[in-house]
Amino acid sequence: MKFFSLFKKELRDMLNAQTILTMVGIVAMLVIIGNIFSDSISESAKKSGDIVICDMDGTDFTKSVIKALKEDCEANDGSLEEVEIKSEDYAKELKRIDQKQVLIIPKGFTELAKEKHQTAKIRFVQRMTSLAMMSNLNTGSSTAFETFKNAVKNTIYQDKLAEDKMTPEEVKQLEDPVELEEITVVGNKQEEISSSVIMSICATQNMIVPIILFVLIMFASQMILNAISTEKIDKTLETLLSAPISRMTVLAAKTLSAAVVALLQAACFMFGSSRMMSGMTSGIGVDSDKFDQALKNLGLSLSAGQYVLVGVQMFLSILIALSIAMILGVLAKDAKSAQTLLMPITISTMIPYCLSMVSDISALPIALRAVVYAIPFSHTFMATENAMFQNTAVYIGGLIYQAVFLAVCIKIALSIFMSDKIFTMSIGGKKDKKKKKA
Amino acid sequence: MEKVLEVKGLGKQYVKGVYASRDVTFDIKKGEIFALIGPNGAGKTTTIRTIATLLKTTEGDALVSGHSILTEPEKVRECITYLPDEAGAYKNMTGRAYLEFMASIYAKDGQDVIDYVNRGVEICELGERLNDKISSYSRGMTRKLLLARAIMPKPDLAILDEPTSGLDILNALEIRRTIKKLAADGMSFLLSSHNMLEIEFVSDRVGIIAKGMLLETGTPEELVAKYEARNLEEVFEKVVKIREVL
Repeated sequence: MKFFSLFKKELRDMLNAQTILTMVGIVAMLVIIGNIFSDSISESAKKSGDIVICDMDGTDFTKSVIKALKEDCEANDGSLEEVEIKSEDYAKELKRIDQKQVLIIPKGFTELAKEKHQTAKIRFVQRMTSLAMMSNLNTGSSTAFETFKNAVKNTIYQDKLAEDKMTPEEVKQLEDPVELEEITVVGNKQEEISSSVIMSICATQNMIVPIILFVLIMFASQMILNAISTEKIDKTLETLLSAPISRMTVLAAKTLSAAVVALLQAACFMFGSSRMMSGMTSGIGVDSDKFDQALKNLGLSLSAGQYVLVGVQMFLSILIALSIAMILGVLAKDAKSAQTLLMPITISTMIPYCLSMVSDISALPIALRAVVYAIPFSHTFMATENAMFQNTAVYIGGLIYQAVFLAVCIKIALSIFMSDKIFTMSIGGKKDKKKKKA
Repeated sequence: MEKVLEVKGLGKQYVKGVYASRDVTFDIKKGEIFALIGPNGAGKTTTIRTIATLLKTTEGDALVSGHSILTEPEKVRECITYLPDEAGAYKNMTGRAYLEFMASIYAKDGQDVIDYVNRGVEICELGERLNDKISSYSRGMTRKLLLARAIMPKPDLAILDEPTSGLDILNALEIRRTIKKLAADGMSFLLSSHNMLEIEFVSDRVGIIAKGMLLETGTPEELVAKYEARNLEEVFEKVVKIREVL
């Protein structure tokens, strides 16, 4: 009985409106992200059986291979589309034919594959628009390559069956009839490298930035929110603000110290993460120099200027988080409400963080994209990718939006801090049972 | 005698039309101890917070050492210290570090910091406990530390809201004596208290406030005589009741 009374009281204390709101918020966020993932996956799955092909050899043999390939595709609910590639400027050609990827049968393919019984090369060209996991689900060349290889095998088999003879070289050739040569296009640049290799290299590198940003925003917000709410809750704020020190100085000191500590934490985190990542990549024996050069040629390595711009966006995000946390800190009535008040920042950081890791935000449905773009932190999570893929308009637009958002937040924070509201505003927490003295 | 505080028609509306304090007028002379007394919600803390420049006045003005709370709040803050009721201190600091931190805000130079801290150490009488974290202090110890903080810079006007709340009888007596001594040395005090005995003992003049309005001011003796009461407690009761009838 005693236990039950106490249990009920504790449950009532803990399961308040703020806690319920937090739970609803988390569920809503996870459901939204889940739906986005599901859309991306089903879209990718739908397209995984589709092959776009260009026959530059134009022989009876390649036509037979394409016919077999088409049958294979259709059997797997996919489609095959034949296109014409006029030059080796694949960036331009992919744009012209409005495709993301194309399998090219080069000239001389038949001669090697059919007449000389040698392994013949085919080319897989792919345009990358994002480094997000889901946006590249269908960008691997393995499906197209395997399907094509089977088609070549089948065609050779059919021919040989018709001729009723097969030499040992021909049997050996059938084990490995086609070799894949992969070309990746980014913007206007192309490089002889597999997009899946790029993905695996960039994934390790690009994972660090969002994680650091996430940690930085959360640490900085929590620190300034605690710094302000604790002053209010511990009743030290009145003493401080009645002392001969301007409110602006108090605010600046708190903001700067929170930013410095957050930066220190981020630096530690970054150091640890980079050590962890370098340990991981050295373990898999990647020829880093070769791939670094390829990434540089494709524009997937940030220049010093781009690093500065990404840094500016990171700084803006931290300032925005600090100014929002400042406003929320003023609203805190007790320690519990202070923790709950951090929830809007957590959710609005989690959404772009998760989305930027797994999905190409710029390819989301327009309504959802508008919601994500309205979150000021999204633009920083997208900054590296926007810089790499030359999405200049989105990048500049994001920067301007963040600057305007920051100005508005600072104005609100200052107007609260400089007025009586800093003492009179509050939200949540237990209602004061004592009547106000004055 | 030189006036340290002149309050002229001070009023505060949190919501338009609803007054927390209204037309409050009084003054405090150099070396004088003035106490505001009144029931809960009477407007004492609002008046005190407005004079301490924490809240913006919606009517009237107050001059502290000649500086207006409306136009020169920074100058006012240089002349006052404020000890709020139920105030706290930074729990992660030691008592000494807290005194040093607050002294550095009030001091003009390094020597001032040393002088203020020495005075604070003397007033709070916490001895070796000053080297312990404030989180380990009792309520009374914290209050003594906060009082020492408020008094150590020797401001023109020390505003103390319930200065001895949380202190035992002996410590409260000691603090009252300290306040009287500092007043004799020229420091002025604006107090707020529920403790009528304390007010009678320590104050030179008293202001009775109810429903946001200052109803009476005078020395405790004058008020006791005027209302034919035995003590200040009875005066307070009579004034508030008359006001309610009116």
